[in-house]
Amino acid sequence: MLLVFAIPRLSFAQDTVTGTVLDGDTGQGLPGVNVAIQGTTTGTMTDGEGKFTLRANTDQILVFSFIGYKSMLEQVGGRSVIDVTMVPDLAALDEIVVTGYTTEQKKDLTGSVAVVKMSEIRNIPTANPMRALQGRLPGVTVTNDGAPGGGATVRIRGIGTLGNNDPLYVIDGMPTKNGLEQINPADIESMQVLKDASAATIYGSRAANGVIIITTRRARAGYRRVTFNSAVSAQRYNSKIEMLNTEERARVYWQGAVNNGTDPNAHQIYKYDWATVDGTPVLNQVILPEFIDAQQTMRPANTNWYDEISRTSILQSYDVSIENGNENSSTLFSLSYFDNKGIVRESQSKRYTMRLNSEYNFLNKRLKVGENLNVTHFVNTLIPTGDVLYSALVQQSIVPVHAVSGGWGGPAPGMNDRHNPVRLIEDNAHNTGYFVRAFGNVYADLEVIPNLHARTSFGLDYQTNYERTLRKSYVSGFLVDPSNQVRTRQDVSGNWVWQNTLTYSLTRGVNAFNFLLGTEMIRYVSQDFWGTRRGYAMENIDYGYLDAGSTDKDNGGSGSSNALLSQFAKINYAYADRYLASVTVRRDGSSRFGPDNRYGVFPALSLGWRLSEENFLKDNVTFISDLKLRYGYGETGNQEIDNNGIRTLYAAIYGSDARERFDNASAYDITGKNTGQLPSGYTLTQRGNTGLKWESTKQHNFGVDFGILDDRFTGSVDYFIKNTSDILIKPAYLGTVGEGGSRWVNGASMENTGWEFILSYTESFGELGVTLTGNVSSYRNKITKLPAEVLTSYAGNGTDKIILGRSVNSMFGYVADGIFQNQAEVEAHADQQGGEDIGRIRYRDLDDNGIINDRDRDYIGLKDPKFSYGLNASLTFRNFDFTFFLQGVQGHDVDNTYKSLTDFPMLWSGSNWGRRTLGAWTPQNTGSSIPAITLVNTNNEGRFSTYFIEKGSYLKLRNIQLGYTLGDAVQRIKAKSLRVYIQANNLATIKSKTYTAPDPENPGNAYPIPVMYTAGLNVTF
Amino acid sequence: MTAALLAASSCDSFLDEQAQGYIGGEALNTPENAEKLVIGAYSLLGSDHWPFVATMWPQGSVRGGDAYKGGDGPGDLGNLHAYEVFSVNRIDNSDSDVAWFQLYVRISRANDALRKLNVLDEAALPLKTQRQAEMRFLRAHYYFSLKILFKYIPFIDETVAVENYPTIGNDAYTNDELWTKIADDLRFAVANLPLKQTDIGRPNRYAAQAYLAKVLLFQAYQQDEDHNVTGIDRAKLEEVVTLCATVGEAYSLHNDFGKNFLTAYENGVESIFAIQYSQGDATPFGRLDWSHKLNYPMNPEFGCCGFHVPSQNLVNAFQTNADGLPLFEDYNKVDIDYKSDDFKTKTFDPRLDHTVAIPGHPYKYSSFIFQDTWVRSLGTYGPFLSMKETVAPNDQSFQKAPPFMSSSKNWDILRYDDVLLWRAEALIELGRHDEALAFINALRRRASDLTLLKKPDGTYASNYHIDEYKPGINCAWTQAYAREALRWESRLELAMEEDRFFNLVRWGIAAEFINEYFKEEKTKVSYLNTAVFQKGRDEYLPIPMQQMNLSRNLYKQNRNW
Repeated sequence: MLLVFAIPRLSFAQDTVTGTVLDGDTGQGLPGVNVAIQGTTTGTMTDGEGKFTLRANTDQILVFSFIGYKSMLEQVGGRSVIDVTMVPDLAALDEIVVTGYTTEQKKDLTGSVAVVKMSEIRNIPTANPMRALQGRLPGVTVTNDGAPGGGATVRIRGIGTLGNNDPLYVIDGMPTKNGLEQINPADIESMQVLKDASAATIYGSRAANGVIIITTRRARAGYRRVTFNSAVSAQRYNSKIEMLNTEERARVYWQGAVNNGTDPNAHQIYKYDWATVDGTPVLNQVILPEFIDAQQTMRPANTNWYDEISRTSILQSYDVSIENGNENSSTLFSLSYFDNKGIVRESQSKRYTMRLNSEYNFLNKRLKVGENLNVTHFVNTLIPTGDVLYSALVQQSIVPVHAVSGGWGGPAPGMNDRHNPVRLIEDNAHNTGYFVRAFGNVYADLEVIPNLHARTSFGLDYQTNYERTLRKSYVSGFLVDPSNQVRTRQDVSGNWVWQNTLTYSLTRGVNAFNFLLGTEMIRYVSQDFWGTRRGYAMENIDYGYLDAGSTDKDNGGSGSSNALLSQFAKINYAYADRYLASVTVRRDGSSRFGPDNRYGVFPALSLGWRLSEENFLKDNVTFISDLKLRYGYGETGNQEIDNNGIRTLYAAIYGSDARERFDNASAYDITGKNTGQLPSGYTLTQRGNTGLKWESTKQHNFGVDFGILDDRFTGSVDYFIKNTSDILIKPAYLGTVGEGGSRWVNGASMENTGWEFILSYTESFGELGVTLTGNVSSYRNKITKLPAEVLTSYAGNGTDKIILGRSVNSMFGYVADGIFQNQAEVEAHADQQGGEDIGRIRYRDLDDNGIINDRDRDYIGLKDPKFSYGLNASLTFRNFDFTFFLQGVQGHDVDNTYKSLTDFPMLWSGSNWGRRTLGAWTPQNTGSSIPAITLVNTNNEGRFSTYFIEKGSYLKLRNIQLGYTLGDAVQRIKAKSLRVYIQANNLATIKSKTYTAPDPENPGNAYPIPVMYTAGLNVTF
Repeated sequence: MTAALLAASSCDSFLDEQAQGYIGGEALNTPENAEKLVIGAYSLLGSDHWPFVATMWPQGSVRGGDAYKGGDGPGDLGNLHAYEVFSVNRIDNSDSDVAWFQLYVRISRANDALRKLNVLDEAALPLKTQRQAEMRFLRAHYYFSLKILFKYIPFIDETVAVENYPTIGNDAYTNDELWTKIADDLRFAVANLPLKQTDIGRPNRYAAQAYLAKVLLFQAYQQDEDHNVTGIDRAKLEEVVTLCATVGEAYSLHNDFGKNFLTAYENGVESIFAIQYSQGDATPFGRLDWSHKLNYPMNPEFGCCGFHVPSQNLVNAFQTNADGLPLFEDYNKVDIDYKSDDFKTKTFDPRLDHTVAIPGHPYKYSSFIFQDTWVRSLGTYGPFLSMKETVAPNDQSFQKAPPFMSSSKNWDILRYDDVLLWRAEALIELGRHDEALAFINALRRRASDLTLLKKPDGTYASNYHIDEYKPGINCAWTQAYAREALRWESRLELAMEEDRFFNLVRWGIAAEFINEYFKEEKTKVSYLNTAVFQKGRDEYLPIPMQQMNLSRNLYKQNRNW
């Protein structure tokens, strides 16, 4: 009894213990670390410098814990000063993962959740953090171009549906379909990707394409810190396609005319000194005229249009954040500026963001009230970069940038009617678009009784675009527009979200329960309007307001709305940390479906078994530090269609711009007065389908998470089967249906199966720290059901060649079977309907009936890669850190659409052509795979065939980075830490030899992906 | 909070969103909206874009040997080049699919308007029957275009539910029955349209009679499956004669041929039914004649795109002999050379300078002198351009719509000179060629009026010599001769308009004429060296591959495609 009594008495013999907790990553003091005495409720938290003070007994043990760091135990052992260095725990099993309206510890997860290592991508200069994730997460495919605005296409586990395949983003609990280019990457604390349905079902209606959950940074209690990051990058266009110069194009034209047996001197511009020598035409000289146009305004030039439109450009980014946290409130305030000048001249996107995240505690921390607010402002120069890049490709080099008079050069007779791309740049450089998005929520969380939380959150997400553009008058070759025009447009769109949840956690012995019950309401609205006038006395953007225009007043506007209403519930259960189960159900209502089909119910179930907690494994297999088996099943839905798919709609379209398309308007001068207001009617825009219902996806996921050798190796393997049914589609329809024939229907079903593997290795060799992370993933797609109504919407011929059983990403066309080498080969081959000739492409007679027609098309390519992979290596040595990241895609076919523009003079007779044409087939160059030059398309070689299909495999060195963290220098500027780094992006590419354009990642003339060189610094005060 | 949860869960009406900015359902079933749907059906008459233009100059004038495609070269709108040379036209020519679809779009508007009209009470819409007649007239017009392009087409009227369209094949009716279906719509129009319409853009009874005459004339020439003309239906010809005579009670010829192609005279005495174009009408560029937006010259006043170039053969055909009659046999022996003084030393039908822009001659009766630098590709397509469809740059109807341009000048679908030609043709085939003489001569007499062609200095661009057919004096007016004269007259009067190819097919001489044309023309125009017209196939376009696939081969492909 005395002894028993003595123990607590001993504990009163305490001494003051002080110390500093240092961050093993940065070497600076780590604020906010929980320091507790093991087995008691006594504890404290480190202050802003990482210092702590508490009273402890000599044989007590201090527990240092901090999210994201490995916990440490230190026995007091009579010490009065205890300094510890905490190291980040990259494979932290007790990591908190946000999984939808709630959080879970990573060890308890039963779904397939990929956690982004933010440290790997933090300093990559990009407008969109999703771009930096390319190749880093197995099963997450990111594709993008190099446009300054920062869009990216994100696909999780392949193509799940036919319409919108974008994932759902949930930012601080707010769901949005907008991409991440509007978020300051430095504000992001964590990102998780919910890949499988059992994890994503809680977001039901829009989770079928996966969910990406973003949590932004908050100030930690006891934290007071200022962080500043800055980087400057130079970007370079290194993937220009090679086009012909003036002399070369003239030669290729001559070759074509000679091959066709026509007179090359019939050309509008070139004249030739040529003769036939021994039956072979020989070109002695190309003679260029003094002027290329009859008006004598332009002299022949030798313009390299790609050089004229591109530049080495600078990207700058600066961001600063201020964190201040204490017992009862926390505030994080951040500002950022991102200025991306594109490699297409004058293209530019400037982004400003402001974020304020605060939280306040009341009622002894039982009530938390807080908000997240983000405001983003973009200023974009409205260069029509698509037109510029296309014009640079097709504009002939003989066209000068400027005419003799100093005005613009432009196409002359004999050329196509595409614009001078330099004029497009210069005449639009003054045009600016402004974008503002305000995004955030306010919330209150009340702990009603211990462990029962009631939370309500109301969020707003509104954005507006404002553009004012002045189109100048111009004379540019034969393209002339004497009129000018100002157009002003604005749209406002957005939504509110109201979420209410109840959560309760309950532990009874070894049984742990978590309950979630909630509702969500969302309403989207969108409106826009525009006005135009012509007749501006000055072509100056400062003058170019609508009021200043005198003629042709025109305007327009439209709107749309939709709503979602949902209820959901979830129960998590864990037995002794060993057996895990989770059940979810969500019921979603969408205004996009008719009253009978409005609601969809999406259930999910998942199970986990932490084998490593079982004694038989713990005791016998010591090299396994963690092992968990997971299984999940879930259903998710898709409603990403037009708002009014159930309705037959007519629009009062009065008149439209019919220069480049059919006018579907309805005004008509029925009285024959020739001018003035016309009577008008309606245009049927779509047929309704009242039976329209939710598309649904059912997904099974099998997974293993493991840690080996004390978690030196960690990783996961996942296998999934994903069946999508009742796929929403607007099928192609029979011509007789006529106007407004398009109609949403529930059509085909498809299956995606695939596997994902990720493995990390972390080790320290003395002062050298090494972390390697590799991932590889693959999926296969198959159409499993194909109702007649939608059959013809897929690649195939509608009768015997249908896509059932094949991937939706199959390519359908003719088989190009080399080039006819001689007359004997021509005669031996099937009838190509007038196209067969020496030097022309031979198409394979697949049905062997002696004639090449549409029956000779088949499935000739597959866009699905065999696998995708990434490898990240991070090394630290003393104050140095070094990272490189490789990313690749293997074994997929791409449609190299460049080829139709570069290889076939007869398809684009007035355009410039690719330098590949210099190597075209001739009787002297019979080994060429490029058909003979012709100016007349007798063989319809633009038809889709294997000629255009090439291997798209590539491996890219996406990122290579070297950093140095300064030691002593930091003290002098009163900083806590300072890191400088240099890096390069997209530095090297290995591609398939058979791919003939520069960049297989960009086979379709999109904005080129630049090479970037960056220098930057991170500093914390 | 609990209350809030419950409230949120139960407000189902939250999901009742309305379509924003659209109309549909019951709201359309009013007389006002039915009238608006009728206007909508009219508005597509001239809603054109280059893959398919309602005036069908690529299908009619280019395929008929009147014109080369033009533009930059054979590769520029290569699908139309395939039409021009026939030999490389294939069932996957996407322009044929666009033509098919666009015509059915137009038909669908007419059918939709009819559905709305049919359910309305006469009391609510007193003009109900008349509006039905107008819609059936339009429907007949669109089906006529489909018929002459594709021969076998699915005929769908407003009584068929859209769900059933995929069950209707293009062989549900025979060739003859399809003509009858089209004629039936026009007979309804004849019976229910007024003699005069308040709105000039709506067809009147004469327009329906004229169109019915045209359809019956095509139907009268019976065709077998290989498109050979196997016989002629005299009863239908008799009806053509009667109908044309009736139309003649209300319409007459302009005194000057050129007035048919000038904005100032649109909706004049000769125009029976025309597409009403407009400008300054609060649409972005006007409801312009987009059919011809590619057909202007390349000089700075215009700028684009040099399509639709009169062939050397056509220019040669305007020559006349010493009697002022066509050079039936020898017209193509020697080419008219614009660089020589041929236009002064030889004699021509005056319609040449109304039809063809010739270097050194006034352009559209204006002070602009056409130059060979105004053409797009002199070396490939020669020095001429088409002029009937264009206007002078200083014409009030001219409108730039960069990079294109056009005008609000109307385009005639039915013109009285054509009615005279049908009447003459029917009479000749009935053996009453003596009666036909007057109508052909009326056109020649009118063509000799040179008012518009006179230059300010009182001279003329070419040396004109034209005379009427005078049996026993300058010709022997037999049936065979009259037939030849009629076909020549039709070519010269309607040159560069859409009719030529379809007339050749109707007469059963397309293969003969066009292959003869290629034989001579390919010696002058090198890209025609692969051109050949395959008899029994090329009279019609193939059913487009896309439609064959979409119908899952319900449609039957035309012979030999």
